[in-house]
Amino acid sequence: MGRALVREWPPAWRPRGSERAWIAAFLIPYVAVFVAFMAYPVAFGLWMGRSPALYAELVRDPKFLPTVLNTLIYTGVGVNVTMFGAILLSGYFMDRSRWIKALLVLFMLPWALPAIPAFLAWHWMLVGHWGFMNSLLDKVFGIEGPIWFNDYWLALGSNIVATIWKWMPFWTLIFLAGRMAIPQDIYDAADVDGAVGVSRFAYVTFPLLGNLYLICTLLSTLWLVGDFTTVFFVSGGAPARTTEVLATYGTHLAFDSGDPPLGSAAMLSILPLLIPLAILLIRRLRSREVQL
Amino acid sequence: MSATTSNRRIHSKLFYRLQHYSVELACLALGGVLVIWSLLPIYNMWMIALNRHDDIFDGSLWPEQPTLQAFRVVITEDFWYLARFWHQFGNSFYVGVAVSFLTLFIGSLASFTVGRMHLKNGWMLTNAALMTYVIPASFLAIPMYRIMQIYGLANHLVSVVAALTTFATPYAIFIFSQYGKSIPMELDESARIDGANPWQIYFRIYLPLMAPALVAVGTYALLLAWNEYLYNFLLLSTPESMTVAVALAQFLNSDESPWNYMMATAIIYAIPPIAIYYGSRRYMAAGLTMGGVKG
Amino acid sequence: MKNVSRRAMVAGSIGVALARPYVARAAGVTATVWQVQGFVPEEDAAFRKTVDAYEKLSGNRIDLSIMPFQALNQKAIAAIHSGEVPDLIFHDAPTTILPQNAWDDRLEDVSDVVEPQRTKLSATALLNASFYNSRTKQRAFYLVPIKQACAPFHMWGDLVRKAGFDLKDAPKTWNAYWDFFKPVQTALRKQGMRKLYALGLQITTVGPNDGNGLFAHFLIANGGQGIVTQDGKLHTGDPAIREAAIRSVEFMTKCYTDGFVPPEALSWNDADDNNAYHEKLFVMNFDGTLSPELAMIKNHKAYYEDMVVMGLPNRNDGSPMPAQLGAGGGFIPKGAKNIAVAKEFMTYFMRPEVMNENLKNGLGRWVPSIPSIVKEDPWWLDTATDPHRSTYVHEAVLGPTVAQYNGFNPAWGKVAAEQVWGQAHADVIKHGMTASAAIDKAFGRVEEIFSKVVFG
Repeated sequence: MGRALVREWPPAWRPRGSERAWIAAFLIPYVAVFVAFMAYPVAFGLWMGRSPALYAELVRDPKFLPTVLNTLIYTGVGVNVTMFGAILLSGYFMDRSRWIKALLVLFMLPWALPAIPAFLAWHWMLVGHWGFMNSLLDKVFGIEGPIWFNDYWLALGSNIVATIWKWMPFWTLIFLAGRMAIPQDIYDAADVDGAVGVSRFAYVTFPLLGNLYLICTLLSTLWLVGDFTTVFFVSGGAPARTTEVLATYGTHLAFDSGDPPLGSAAMLSILPLLIPLAILLIRRLRSREVQL
Repeated sequence: MSATTSNRRIHSKLFYRLQHYSVELACLALGGVLVIWSLLPIYNMWMIALNRHDDIFDGSLWPEQPTLQAFRVVITEDFWYLARFWHQFGNSFYVGVAVSFLTLFIGSLASFTVGRMHLKNGWMLTNAALMTYVIPASFLAIPMYRIMQIYGLANHLVSVVAALTTFATPYAIFIFSQYGKSIPMELDESARIDGANPWQIYFRIYLPLMAPALVAVGTYALLLAWNEYLYNFLLLSTPESMTVAVALAQFLNSDESPWNYMMATAIIYAIPPIAIYYGSRRYMAAGLTMGGVKG
Repeated sequence: MKNVSRRAMVAGSIGVALARPYVARAAGVTATVWQVQGFVPEEDAAFRKTVDAYEKLSGNRIDLSIMPFQALNQKAIAAIHSGEVPDLIFHDAPTTILPQNAWDDRLEDVSDVVEPQRTKLSATALLNASFYNSRTKQRAFYLVPIKQACAPFHMWGDLVRKAGFDLKDAPKTWNAYWDFFKPVQTALRKQGMRKLYALGLQITTVGPNDGNGLFAHFLIANGGQGIVTQDGKLHTGDPAIREAAIRSVEFMTKCYTDGFVPPEALSWNDADDNNAYHEKLFVMNFDGTLSPELAMIKNHKAYYEDMVVMGLPNRNDGSPMPAQLGAGGGFIPKGAKNIAVAKEFMTYFMRPEVMNENLKNGLGRWVPSIPSIVKEDPWWLDTATDPHRSTYVHEAVLGPTVAQYNGFNPAWGKVAAEQVWGQAHADVIKHGMTASAAIDKAFGRVEEIFSKVVFG
């Protein structure tokens, strides 16, 4: 189906003379911002984490490898559930009835809330039997709830659920915009072919949004690896710092242990995993086939 | 018309209706789940805000004596952390609007140039931007602090605007260049033949067609700026220059903060971005109708 | 705003160029000062007042920024590591910043400010203010100590009375003192308070300080005070200290597994124990400063009738138990442009009358580092107007005190940041380790951290 839109991109012809001036003028703002505010900090950051001794020190910390593992689980599960849920929900929100529109605004609320109070509320909702969740379980269902953050899997799961809660609305919005770019006549043609429901999603929508989906997945992976607020405020690493991820671990090293180079090294240590992802992302972006 | 065909027609009508209703029902059920999913933690925040004290662990499902006092305190700046609330709210607004405007402007210009102006190796530019996401933002805190001191922007809102625009722009470029591919190149070409210069093509053709993506990314940049706090508190430090995100972090100063005020502040603070999104939503819908024109 | 501070900057650098060190009136110089936000608005107002008085006296200007604790920590570290520093940082218990940066020679020696007051300052304050510099290979003062704080016991007197107990009967030794509250829980549960607990023991790894401070006091109570000595040496090899650590872990984890501590205490953050305390979900806890009480000062009944603050009982062997004090004050990062003004301001701040006035205005949440102040000014020990302050001052100033280990060796700060002791508790409670196995594991890690810090 995606083939329908295949075209050379961008069409191969060269800019004329005056066009060059326009190109320069259009790119100046971006290049200026990039050089002024990104190039130097990145170089400085890499320089801070340059010493190999820092990495040797990290590996000797018994908390390091479990933290890497947590980061993988947290990011892997968090990102994929968020993305898959978001692309499905974006279809749901395409419906133009009024109550669904109202629901969309409600659904966006978690994203609009400032992260610190929102995640603190998650923490208080789940911490112990006086928290809201266990009161709810007790009073409505008569169940004695678990002490969520005392169990590794429950605590890790709470962090993942909280991050999905916060970020799914945003990605839903992005996919919603993506779906809106799908020409209606493609759906009309699909209708004629009898593709509805699941098959319409599988054969029409998903192939068209596939590239966007992949790119968003990779991007959100990169972002989630760098996000420390969720874990810091929801579980705080409990129980016994077993649910720490690299971002919180690096922050602790930099600011609680007062060792910014080591903290930087901790965050850089994930680069061997992230760089291949970024290269994959770049290759997808370069693909000359326009899927969407 | 024979009896069997009309029977079949009735059957299929019934089947259609049943299917229709069950789909409706499923939609409603999903809607219900989504409401609970989205609102449960917010309900908890709301409950803390409605309590007279910060009764976080009182174990009740609804405050015994709900009161809007916390909201009054926030609105009237009646607590020392919130003494400059409206001023800081204005700062947040300034930062949020500036970041989203700059991000949209710089990002759309760059993606227009790379995607539609036949720039040789233009993709390298966007890739360079992308590579910066490999490095977590929190890792850049110290260098960013330093560079703002060197530029003389420390403790000035411009520093936060600059930092956050820098973070948001690469993403904007990606979304725009993805989305822009669905806009037919023929539109540009015919405009060009009509004598339009690149700026006119960008402004009159490209931007309007990009509306849904602009709304999505604009909301993204606004919220990024609105709620970001690491850079906010690293770069801003006086009550005059703070944004509400930093003011909110003041509550973490103590293990004895009035959490009801914090939650009330958070709820009030979440209203403007939602309102802005709600207001610009129709441009997204405009994109929907335009979808029919394309392809 | 920006213009003013930039002009100030220029003026400042000219000022330094002209002024010789310690010139009393470096006329019209502006110094940048970062100050930590107080817990109560009065603390900030008090600081502002001190600054105003200094400005009037000296003719210099202080460009003051006030920021929350965590933000100041991060910002101070960012500043010190990037070289773009303020002239003075005034911070509460900056134990994560000072030892390491003094070691790395990134701080200005402020001995010339501290020395003149040396005889007046308490021995603990002097220890808390001095740190080892690995480049000069000696200890010197890097903090101008203004204020100190300790952790007292906080309890709901009304709950104890309701259970039929009298706090006067509370035993005078550490473990027995904690044990005293266990039957209070049993009695209150019989009266229908089903989910009430006796002890708010913060055996958590989440909050930055609660768990570490608690463990240090247990260690002291069990005779393990010398785990790190003033020379920076670690003594985990000493059997008596190992024994003290094991007994501490055993006692605390047993309180937990016997059901006298709320089960979620294992994952409490910094504020959770305070929130639970205010809800009367447990009877007592041990937590820094008077902030749990001051937070409820507007509730007259709670503050004046129900809440009780108690100092420390004796150690388990019956000898007097010292309180471990944290210090707050000013320090100057290397690279500061107006060192002379910063020092002059701190010299002014160290005057007993200025210090006293400032800390009194801050409601007495912090006590002075000069003990004679509390003896001379009756406000500090006045029990008629305030039921808690006097107890607190007795513990923090008049009773025996010790310094935090952080100042002895920068490795201790890393041990604390890793929450090694909280992890030992979790090892026992969650993984069924014996206390001695958990301590062997913890000591192993502590030794490894200390091995990287070599005194030259």
